[in-house]
Amino acid sequence: MSDEIIQIETPFQFNEENKREFDELIGRYPVKEAAMLPTLHLAQRQAGFISPAVMKYVAELLELSVMKVKDVVTFYPMFFEEPVGKYVIRICHTLPCALRDCKVVLEHLKEKLGTDVASETNLAKGTTDDGKFTLMKVECLASCDVAPVIMVNDDLYKNLTPEKVDELLENL
Amino acid sequence: MVQERRILYEHLDVPDINTFEVFKQHDGYARFEKAIAEYQPEEIADMVKEAGLKGRGGAGFSTGEKWSFVPRDIEPRYLCCNADESEPGTFSNRYVLEKNPHLLIEGILICCYAMGIETTYVYIRGEFTLGKKMLDAAIKEAYEQGYLGENVRDTGLNINIYTHPGAGAYICGEETGLIESLEGKRGQPRNKPPFPAVQGVFMKPTVVQNVETLCNLPFIVGNGVEWYTQMGPTYGDARFDPPKPDPNTGTKLYCISGDVNEPGVYELDLGLTCTELIEVAGGLRGEEVKAVIPGGSSAPILTHYELDTRLDFTSLTLAKSMLGSGGIIVMNETRNIVDCLLNIMKFYAHESCGQCTPCRWGTPWVRDIVQRIADGEGRQATITRPKFGVTESGRWGDTGETEEIYEDLDLLESVANNIANVDTMTWNTICVFGIAVSWPAVSYMRKFRPEFEATIREGELITLPVAEATVPPEENYAYQQRIIPKEMADLE
Repeated sequence: MSDEIIQIETPFQFNEENKREFDELIGRYPVKEAAMLPTLHLAQRQAGFISPAVMKYVAELLELSVMKVKDVVTFYPMFFEEPVGKYVIRICHTLPCALRDCKVVLEHLKEKLGTDVASETNLAKGTTDDGKFTLMKVECLASCDVAPVIMVNDDLYKNLTPEKVDELLENL
Repeated sequence: MVQERRILYEHLDVPDINTFEVFKQHDGYARFEKAIAEYQPEEIADMVKEAGLKGRGGAGFSTGEKWSFVPRDIEPRYLCCNADESEPGTFSNRYVLEKNPHLLIEGILICCYAMGIETTYVYIRGEFTLGKKMLDAAIKEAYEQGYLGENVRDTGLNINIYTHPGAGAYICGEETGLIESLEGKRGQPRNKPPFPAVQGVFMKPTVVQNVETLCNLPFIVGNGVEWYTQMGPTYGDARFDPPKPDPNTGTKLYCISGDVNEPGVYELDLGLTCTELIEVAGGLRGEEVKAVIPGGSSAPILTHYELDTRLDFTSLTLAKSMLGSGGIIVMNETRNIVDCLLNIMKFYAHESCGQCTPCRWGTPWVRDIVQRIADGEGRQATITRPKFGVTESGRWGDTGETEEIYEDLDLLESVANNIANVDTMTWNTICVFGIAVSWPAVSYMRKFRPEFEATIREGELITLPVAEATVPPEENYAYQQRIIPKEMADLE
């Protein structure tokens, strides 16, 4: 069984608020599996990242194998399998942002935070030593009219310049 | 000067339009009330067909026709609203979701009524946290006001809308990828047929529509088919004899970004030219237009010779490009096309879902070739071979001249064409992601070949002046093949 080879140290469980939200979610779909993405979002919001313990818990909730959950987690870039910083900075580097000098903003962020850009398989590479920030490049954030843009956790920041980045980082 | 015609975006800037009360004051839900009071469901479906509404998500397929494929005797049927706006250069749905979510709900209600659908899932991209929040709040209000839930407005209809967050995968914007993702799996597209209209989400008949398409429905119902068809041109599709009417009716939310002075969303009638559009967006930022991407990054590029192309579904298809999602990216004379292609190919190499081998391996391969060229290490062979082009007889073939081979450019074209062949329009992959990769790869390379050649020759990124960077029209195969619908036989 694939479930047995995964070592679980501390079990994970939804807190009461998330459990309530999950119970509401699950009623929306004719099959439990369909609640996968919203459930994983909830779990990641609570735990910070999708650890094996989270996968096991979600698998139990949705009556699936752990492998099936891992299968989904590895497919989508928004799910993290490793710990990330308190603030996840996503910088768009697709064409419309590139035409508006997102490179300057990226270099400035790298210098300011003193970190490299995270890759999907190595999030620690883009995380600052104090665990406050994780810097990652993402594809188009659908805000090309206000390029270059970054997303800090759930918030979008528009028309960025190095000065605006300084101001933003100071307020975090 | 062309004027904007704001219909979908008319009340976008009204303060608090996201609340039920203010939306109601601006004709909100009146169109849905009209639909249930005056029309039978089938009549609404017929109206949409007559209005010639085409799907605004990318493929431009007739909405009415799509609805007619849905078997009405299989229960339950589903509606999936595609709000997974991820095509680079497209950002019109974001504003609808964030500022005027009730308009989308009204569109969904009309579609549900017409198709007898009880459950709608709005697949919203994971990064749209604000959009999801606003839509969720609007849905809650609509439930409270009796427009959603059981027995809507005492008509006996049960309609539920649920939002479903994505998680950052571009491929989930493809309709079957979206369905797989909605079912809680990896978003890997399905083989078609069966089409979603017959077997979609949970293997039940499913209508998949873009946000913008659904937002058009209240206006078609509210103002009538005649009013709607007055906007935008209707061409005769010359592939049929006699020409079949090919409507490009209604307005389009054009998203303009890149080198223009006022990037943004402009709602205009379909059928304007590139030049007019750039003018509307505050003019060009720079001296000269080098290239325009007309429909999101997947669309083949247009050169400065092709700026008179009309931006509608038919004209762009005939110009060997596509309107796609209406994401227009303008590039000025300082831009290097090799660099731009590299950026786009990095995007596709990252977003390939990994299901089909030609795409999984081919897309990173194409990216690596372009990277090599951009790094100044492009391969150039020294042998010569017959040159193909437009011959004296005016046909495509061996011109009798010889040319030097640029090995990497040939390789690029060969790899791209083996993912999806742009000349025959056949793809070796399950979904159209394959064609979205090879279209830009091949069209950039063919249309801006001098710039690619110079970069390989000199061993560094060379940005040529616009006139020199572009292949002249007489050597541009796509340009030679294009048909301008204006000159096509009138319908009558």
